[in-house]
Amino acid sequence: MARNKTQDAGEILQGTLDLLILRTLILGPAHGHTIARSIESTSENALEVEQGSLYPALHRLEDRGLVASEWGVSDNNRRAKFYRLTAKGRKELAAATGRWRRMTRAIGLILGESNG
Amino acid sequence: MGFQRYLNRESKDRDLAEEIQSHLAHEVDANLARGLSEAEARRRARLRFGNPRTVRERVWIYRSLPMMDGIFRDLRDAWRSLRKTKGLTIVALLVIALGIGVNTAVFSVVNTVLLQPLPYPDPHSLMRLVLFTPQRTLDGASVPEFNLWRQQTSVLRDVAGYDTGGAGLNLTGGDHPMQVQGVHVTHDYFTLFGAPVIAGRTFTEEEDSPHGGNVVVLSYGLWKQRFGGDTKIVGQTLPIDNTPYLVVGIIGPSFVSDNPADVWLPFQFDLNSQDMAHYFRVSARLQPGVTIEQANAQLKLASDQFRRLKPNAIGRQNHYGVFPLKEWMTGDTRTPLLVLLCAVGLVLLIACANVANLLLAKASGRQREFATRAALGAGRWQIIRQLLAESLLLSLSGGLLGLLLGYASVRLLLNVNTGSLPRVGENGMALALDMRVLFFTLGVSVLTGILFGLVPAVSASRTNLVASLNESSSRTGSGSRSVNFRSVLVITEIALALILVIGSTLLIRTYLKLQGVDPGFDTHNTLTMAMSISGDRFQASAPVDQIIRQGTERIKTIPGVVEAAAGNGLPLQGAFGVPFDIVGRSKGNAPSTGSTGYYSVSANFFEALKIPLLRGRTFTDRDNASAPGVVIINETLAKQYWPHGDPLRDRIQKAPGAGPPFTEPPRQVIGIIGDTRDGGLNRDPFPAIYIPLAQMPDGETALNSRIAPLWWIVRTNGDPHAVVAQVTAALRESTGGLPVAHIRTMDEIDSLMVSRERFNMLLLTVFGASGLLLAAAGIYGLMAFSVEQRTQELGIRMAMGAQTSHLRNMVLRQGMMLTIIGVVAGIAASFWLTRFLASFLFGVEKWDPLAFLLTPLLLSAVALAATWIPAVRATRVDPITALRFE
Repeated sequence: MARNKTQDAGEILQGTLDLLILRTLILGPAHGHTIARSIESTSENALEVEQGSLYPALHRLEDRGLVASEWGVSDNNRRAKFYRLTAKGRKELAAATGRWRRMTRAIGLILGESNG
Repeated sequence: MGFQRYLNRESKDRDLAEEIQSHLAHEVDANLARGLSEAEARRRARLRFGNPRTVRERVWIYRSLPMMDGIFRDLRDAWRSLRKTKGLTIVALLVIALGIGVNTAVFSVVNTVLLQPLPYPDPHSLMRLVLFTPQRTLDGASVPEFNLWRQQTSVLRDVAGYDTGGAGLNLTGGDHPMQVQGVHVTHDYFTLFGAPVIAGRTFTEEEDSPHGGNVVVLSYGLWKQRFGGDTKIVGQTLPIDNTPYLVVGIIGPSFVSDNPADVWLPFQFDLNSQDMAHYFRVSARLQPGVTIEQANAQLKLASDQFRRLKPNAIGRQNHYGVFPLKEWMTGDTRTPLLVLLCAVGLVLLIACANVANLLLAKASGRQREFATRAALGAGRWQIIRQLLAESLLLSLSGGLLGLLLGYASVRLLLNVNTGSLPRVGENGMALALDMRVLFFTLGVSVLTGILFGLVPAVSASRTNLVASLNESSSRTGSGSRSVNFRSVLVITEIALALILVIGSTLLIRTYLKLQGVDPGFDTHNTLTMAMSISGDRFQASAPVDQIIRQGTERIKTIPGVVEAAAGNGLPLQGAFGVPFDIVGRSKGNAPSTGSTGYYSVSANFFEALKIPLLRGRTFTDRDNASAPGVVIINETLAKQYWPHGDPLRDRIQKAPGAGPPFTEPPRQVIGIIGDTRDGGLNRDPFPAIYIPLAQMPDGETALNSRIAPLWWIVRTNGDPHAVVAQVTAALRESTGGLPVAHIRTMDEIDSLMVSRERFNMLLLTVFGASGLLLAAAGIYGLMAFSVEQRTQELGIRMAMGAQTSHLRNMVLRQGMMLTIIGVVAGIAASFWLTRFLASFLFGVEKWDPLAFLLTPLLLSAVALAATWIPAVRATRVDPITALRFE
């Protein structure tokens, strides 16, 4: 039951959510809500994390061993599940960042942007 | 990634739910901090997050193997659906169990007899040495031939001779003399078959040469039974026929010999012997890397050499060769077993058609269920998959049931009658339920499930969604196509059943014809028993003649005994063969006038068996060693060699040109007696001559005593079993303590003769009857279904004033139409198929008019009866109810 939705400028490109999550976690362990807020605020609210996709993505990353999780207590004094980057996750982040840079540069070249 | 993704789905889901709750709480906190009211903060948080369930489902699906999940769901649904229609499920289950059961039964026999390798090391290199003639392949061996084969070391090794242990031996000494099976073997025998020695050793080459001494090897069974498993027996002596034999070794329990043996004795051949008598068999192994073709080529060369040395030994077109031992042992059972396998295949096909029919009927009542599923988004493949899951669940449970049923029934059957099948062991004990049988049954079950499930599944998935949902009456919706298809299934069932029934009719007729064959003598009230006379005492004719005279005299004094006699063979059991000349008659280029079966018999032999005398006279006590040589011939020999002349004027020279031990003067033909069926009831009688035992050359009697027992024949005037104890006692007294074995009446031997035919007939009849029943159930089911579907139509017809007989006939006509089409197809197929039965038939043509006329009538009658019930039901339709019906 796929909903037909016009492409929103703020919608995160498929496959890049993983990268953004990993990048956010380099600052230290965080729970889901913080991660979403962090992505949004760091991008100056240009990107909107579809919260429904966030948790499947987190679980996927955990299964791949890129992040690890444990329950803890948040700043608000609430129980929350904290995710942290693993060594494997760090390696993957470096590789994925490299891939992303190469790709955006290539796309920029095609689109004719001088300072891509 | 790994498999942990799929583990602990439930606990991970609970974890996720909690995580989502935590997320929402944080979002609410944030909203509250922005100054929203509590209610608004919650509302926005939920709105922002979306449906938590969707998120959980996404993760759940990500953690699932869609295939496996689908299969589990399908199986669960299938189980529910099958339970909902219990009656139908049970019937289907039984039909499948029957179909798979008979297949498992026959396959387990095929597996044991034909597929399993021989229980010896490297079984594929084991060969039987044979003589190929243009007509047949023979496996009898003589000493010069054995010697020749032994020398072919480039292609053969471990060349070993062994006999069938026919004569039996008497373990004397102790309180209980006992007759045991003693098989004579050459010393390579144990190496050839890899027999495990658990104590002592086997024969040395020296012990296996003439004057090698009296030595014996014990079987495990005899050792346990008679000597309590005491290994001290090795090195001691054992009295056999009152001669001490040195026990040299004991063979382990795992060794299964070709012919059952209690003890093994060395043959002690004189390899220089020129005696061409065939009285044992020879097997050998191919040298490593040598093919059967290479061995045969080498043996063909050897045959040519042999022919130059002994010009009359083997015919010009004959030559020696090898034949794989397993194929040799199972050769004549191969075709019957494969025919039976085909027959049960037909039964299974009928069963499949039947279950497919049931499932189609069930599916047609479920049109709306499928339409609803389809409307809810189930793809066509999903509906097919669900129905296939149902049929597979059905077929696998049926298969399991059939496995138990089939295995139990075949054990039971073989326990009653092994059908003289080789390799199934005593009472079928050797029949194994091994992996091959299990895989066969599993495979057949899966195949069956797909076969009978696919058609209903595909046809159900073709449901016209809108029509099915809108139509208030699902009864008329897809009826006609389904009925058409089911008609085809029923026609197929009838045709297949007819093939089976025609086949079994032919076998029943064969069996009855065999039962009706006159064996040439009176089998009733005749007791027979075997006495081993292999001891030194009986190496000449006179002592044998003497114990027969004494024995018969004693037996005749027993009340109820009418006549007693003895001979070196029994009718129906086959005879030794021997060449002969008719004195004074030209034999052209041939080495002798002809060859014939021969028996050495006592006086009153013909009277005891009631073999009719056609001309001349029978033997009396006066035809003894000092009297002139005489011979009696049978009718076949008389007709074959004296088409015009008078045999009673001629003399016969038995075994012309044979070596010294067999030399004897020509004999006067003194009588002609009726033929007996000695090559089997289904064979024409062969020529035979009878010679007074007292007049046999000593050398020949010595050989006969060694390789075959003396058979006693006692005619009684009441039940022969009543005198068994007295006869055996009388014989023991009169012979100085010799025991007897193989005590059977001639009627029992007669029925053993046809045991293979009875086995085939019984099985095929069971299969035919099953097929017939299944087909009847099939046509009944279809007609009942069709009547039910047409209730409305029938009601209207009735309301319009149709006669009940008219309605009944309409249904009957429809049913009989299917039957006739099926019968015609079945007859056509049978005309082609019965050729494969031809070799089993006796006295019946493969296109036997009776079978081809009567069976279709029988089948039509059964079909008519099966159609009658729904037809009558059609006439009972109440127009009012019928019209209100949905």
